[in-house]
Amino acid sequence: MLATYGDRDPGQVPEAIDSMELAWLLHQIAQRYGDIDLDDDLLARMSTVTGVVEVLADLKGPVAG
Amino acid sequence: MLLAGPDSDICLYLAGPVSRAELRRLVAQRHRALAGAGLGRGGSVALCLAPSLAFVTNLLASWQIGAQVSLLDYRLTSHEVDGALQRLLPQLVVTAAHSSGGQLRGFFEITERVEVYPGRPAATGHAVIQLSSGSTGPFKVIARDAASLVDEVKRYTMIDGVPRGGERIVSLASMVHVLGLVGGLLYGLHAGVNLTIPARMTAEGVLSTVAAADLPTTLLGVPFHIELLAAVDRPPTLPQLTGMTTGGELVRADVRDRFVQRYGVRLGNMYGMTEVGVIGTDLFGTHRPAVMPAPGLAVRERDGELQVSVPVSPYLGDQDPTRWADGWLHTRDAGTVDARTGLVRILGRRDSQVSVGGLKVDLTEVEHALAGLPEVTGAVVVFDRAIEAYVTLADGAQVSAVEQETATRLAAYKRPRRLHVVGQLPRTATGKLVRDRVVLRDIGPSAPAAGADAGDEAAETAGAPVPSRKVTPTMTDEASRFEEIRQFVLDALTDMNYSTDGIDNDTTFGPAGADLESLALAELAVRVEDRFGVKFGEDEGEALAGMTVAEFCHTVVPRVHTAPSQ
Repeated sequence: MLATYGDRDPGQVPEAIDSMELAWLLHQIAQRYGDIDLDDDLLARMSTVTGVVEVLADLKGPVAG
Repeated sequence: MLLAGPDSDICLYLAGPVSRAELRRLVAQRHRALAGAGLGRGGSVALCLAPSLAFVTNLLASWQIGAQVSLLDYRLTSHEVDGALQRLLPQLVVTAAHSSGGQLRGFFEITERVEVYPGRPAATGHAVIQLSSGSTGPFKVIARDAASLVDEVKRYTMIDGVPRGGERIVSLASMVHVLGLVGGLLYGLHAGVNLTIPARMTAEGVLSTVAAADLPTTLLGVPFHIELLAAVDRPPTLPQLTGMTTGGELVRADVRDRFVQRYGVRLGNMYGMTEVGVIGTDLFGTHRPAVMPAPGLAVRERDGELQVSVPVSPYLGDQDPTRWADGWLHTRDAGTVDARTGLVRILGRRDSQVSVGGLKVDLTEVEHALAGLPEVTGAVVVFDRAIEAYVTLADGAQVSAVEQETATRLAAYKRPRRLHVVGQLPRTATGKLVRDRVVLRDIGPSAPAAGADAGDEAAETAGAPVPSRKVTPTMTDEASRFEEIRQFVLDALTDMNYSTDGIDNDTTFGPAGADLESLALAELAVRVEDRFGVKFGEDEGEALAGMTVAEFCHTVVPRVHTAPSQ
């Protein structure tokens, strides 16, 4: 998803996420999974790609059931 | 002047509405606190505060006292702040004792801390001091006096399309930097415009902020915000939204079109500099890609560079005539001024400054910071959609050490997105470092900038890169030169996000062929000029649309010198 910002190849996306990318990522997540409740803790976890993957896994958990 | 107005007018909205009466009360409170700490008329104070009500009240109170205010971005590292304070020598420093913190916040709730600093009273009569990422030394000190700020606010009142009293500005542009500071805060307070800052800077956060009030609303931001908002598939209907204005680099045409189509409002552009504020505008999108100089300012072009009439040098310290001389400020932007209409076209930077989310970063500053580290034997920093650094390391040096030290020396927005460790930095025949980002992309493995797992291994296995054919500068054969230019043009188009599928030597650049719009044509021409050391006249720039790829390359071949332009 991050690769779509700036049209990058997924292999080119670095691990750290800056605030512009985070805003873009949240938009993509909202488009795909609907609005999610944001709080500072959640956003803090999303500062790396690994963190985002974990947050997404948590989000999908209850839905995938 | 700024605080005057009816008590009940809501002039600000951050966590909640702030009336003029309330703002006056808060400013008076800060006035007492700062005066109590020793700040007097002619004194000096540095504010290192994130966008917040605290920032506004401390700024206005300091000016009310008659002190000179230096503004430091809250994201600067303590290393950078220390360096700045040693240069600025304020008497007081205001920082955040407690801040609400968090990611993607438009403003923070701050309890400030005032500390005495071994500085001195203001050495000049300037009202505000700001720092810019500099190419020589860590930064350039930019100073504006009250007259300059007042002039700029007046300029805003005379520009057609700017929000009027009783309306609202939702600002996504930081109030600590010139666009949000003068265009948002100072103009808003003066003109009786409600300045609202969204709590969360997400697409949803911004749109819900706009929707929360009925006042005619203008969004103020930077191009990144347009990309974000334009990507919302089905935005809510916002009848109160009258338009959006961005400062900084020009928004890409396809993004702009999508925004205008989805929101049904105008997208305007503002061109300015920290040194002087707003220089030119195109608030209705009618002049695109050009801007109209603001009333009261003159803009001219000399040797391909845009210059702005500024009566007094905006710089402190040693005066550099290549920056300001005889009433003219050098913008360091390449551009043209139409003799008939006065419209100004900005074609790109002539120096190493780039814009990262609206913030200006000089790549040379980043390069010097890296090259100064003991682990780094050589560094080249370029902008390739983001700041990218290519470095050679000393024997046994670890890239993680370089990352750590970089983090203490450079604010996050200045740091390279990636650190590419290579065995050797490519050089031209004359020994100069190659700074062509397309060439650099092809060489060596990269290490992700954060301490990721693969990083260290990649760094240790980095061997000497094989310089590609494009780096070898000794081509004198005309056919090879033609091919080199042709390949460069195709790479440039790809880099500018144009597809090169189906583009062959007979494809024209304009609407009948590759369909580059005029700004893209200008950008292509500038790239070719930079790379091959050629210069196109204005007529040629306009003729480009009708030329085929082959015709264009043929015109360039005889004009290229045997050594690259570096």
